[in-house]
Amino acid sequence: MRGYEAGPLARTLAWATVLYLLLPITIVIPVSLTDRRYLSLPEQSLSLQHYANLLRSEAWLSAIGQSFWIALASTLVAVVTGTLCAIGCWRIGRRSTELVRALMLLPLIIPAIVYAIGLYRWFGWMGLLDRFLGVTLAHGVTGIPYVVITVSTALAAFDPRLEQAARGMGASLWQTLRWVILPRIAPGIASGAIFAFIHSWDELVMVLFIASRQVFTLPRKIWDGINENLDPSMAAVAVLLILFTVLLLALDGAVRARRGG
Amino acid sequence: MTAVARPGALVAGAESAGHALELRGLSKRYGGFTAVDAVSLRVERGQFLTLLGPSGSGKTTILMMIAGFVAPGEGAVLLDGRDITALPPERRDFGMVFQGYALFPHMTVAENVAFPLRVRRLGRAAREEKVRAALDLVQLSGFADRRPSQLSGGQQQRVALARALVFDPDLLLLDEPLSALDRKLRAELQEELKALHRRIGRTFVSVTHDQEEALSLSDQVAILNHGRLVQLGPPEALYERPRTRFVAGFLGHSNFLRGTVREVAAAGSVVQAGGTRLLQRDEPGPPGATVLLSLRPEKIALLAEGEGAENAVAGSIAAWAYLGAGYSLSVATCDLGVLHVALPAWRAPIAPREGLPVRLGWSAEAAVPVLEDADAA
Repeated sequence: MRGYEAGPLARTLAWATVLYLLLPITIVIPVSLTDRRYLSLPEQSLSLQHYANLLRSEAWLSAIGQSFWIALASTLVAVVTGTLCAIGCWRIGRRSTELVRALMLLPLIIPAIVYAIGLYRWFGWMGLLDRFLGVTLAHGVTGIPYVVITVSTALAAFDPRLEQAARGMGASLWQTLRWVILPRIAPGIASGAIFAFIHSWDELVMVLFIASRQVFTLPRKIWDGINENLDPSMAAVAVLLILFTVLLLALDGAVRARRGG
Repeated sequence: MTAVARPGALVAGAESAGHALELRGLSKRYGGFTAVDAVSLRVERGQFLTLLGPSGSGKTTILMMIAGFVAPGEGAVLLDGRDITALPPERRDFGMVFQGYALFPHMTVAENVAFPLRVRRLGRAAREEKVRAALDLVQLSGFADRRPSQLSGGQQQRVALARALVFDPDLLLLDEPLSALDRKLRAELQEELKALHRRIGRTFVSVTHDQEEALSLSDQVAILNHGRLVQLGPPEALYERPRTRFVAGFLGHSNFLRGTVREVAAAGSVVQAGGTRLLQRDEPGPPGATVLLSLRPEKIALLAEGEGAENAVAGSIAAWAYLGAGYSLSVATCDLGVLHVALPAWRAPIAPREGLPVRLGWSAEAAVPVLEDADAA
């Protein structure tokens, strides 16, 4: 039996889409290897000098470090609140919880810049501007939808009788959560955590509004770099970012593959 | 200390181990729908009670109220006279075998069975001892490290049983325990379950829609319909003396004969059904009353030429089927409509054929008066 085969038009379109997605990304790779001192394609030879600069630069390393810790902390916020919210909605299971779930997806729907303006006003009042805590909260809250979506999906496949069985055998709510529900939905939580991490890792718009000097994340550093000087170190950073993100997505893939077993 | 000292606790103390359960006026409504309507019954210590009814009869809701997963709208659940209606399920100490077993797929067989002990914070040594005893009890000693997905349906069912019994529960609840298994395995596990119940002497409450399962397993069967308890009693009593048309028709098969009581005498009563006078040993009602009689197909015999019976009627075979152990005949009669007859194949006096004229006969004790369901309510 011969499977369905794509026609020439569909095939061309598919390849065009792939190229469209990949080309802008791949261009940074040669740029990061340029032998010039400004953003350009390599002319005479390939050079790793910008990678070396990057690893020697206090400012870049500090930005990477800050971004990493903020992403980690905000992932924690998103995972804990998002998972509890998804489990709560699933347990109560009424019409009203649909509304809660829709509400949780708001950060995905509202333009980041609108959200950032709101945050700017509130954080100004609360003294959270330009603070690690402020950025962590902002990234954490906007990372919740990713966790709610993946955990809800995992819960949809969870047999509610398992929870009933655990309660019937004397398990408290907390024991049921820890020994029965969480192990079953762990892959969903891991997936959500990876997406929440990536979300914080490359978030720029909110950071532009609520951070200035104290908190200086990696996307912010790249942004400033582009605006102020055209240092090819940015291309090197971009390549490292791409590698890191691909790594995380591969991890997510591995987690999902294990879910079947 | 005591927990460690009684590795064989599961099998000990047959008489004292069970607990008596009582339901008092239990009701549950969902909006305008009455799922359970004022059900009262009592299960004595160590007895096996089955709640039997068609789907939607409220039997599962009753079990869930006993387990504590559903709060009754009215009424009370009592264990040994103590009101436990308000107790949450995790504090009732009841073992439960769920429909489809609800084994934890991420745990091994041993971990599954150990779960109730783990939530009770039992020490590791005592836990292992009890898990071993429970797996021995259901003959699954070699399977401790398997995952539920690696077991057959019958083995999964036994793991569920071991898990429900491992913590010496006051009561074992079974929700359609055998419905997921194929016919042959079901019969096998019925026997095992019955032997297990006798061995450990605990009180079992089971829910099923399978009448054969109910009859073979139970000491007491409660027949439910539309959320009401229709009849409660030992299986033989229910089968032999059904109270209503529903019970007679749901438990086994039955022919229904409607007639009017003509006379009541010491030798028996005469019931006029169409042009046929039926002799009944008992007294189905006062003279002039309209009565409904239930007559089991296997209590009707095929009469030979010239053979007499207390009740006899002529007819012809309208349809028949060979079922291995016997023949199932549908005999069209003038006065009594179509009568179903179950005939043991090995001593069938005839070779059935459509249109064959036959004479049917049954004794005056064979038919049982039953109430119309509307009257029974």
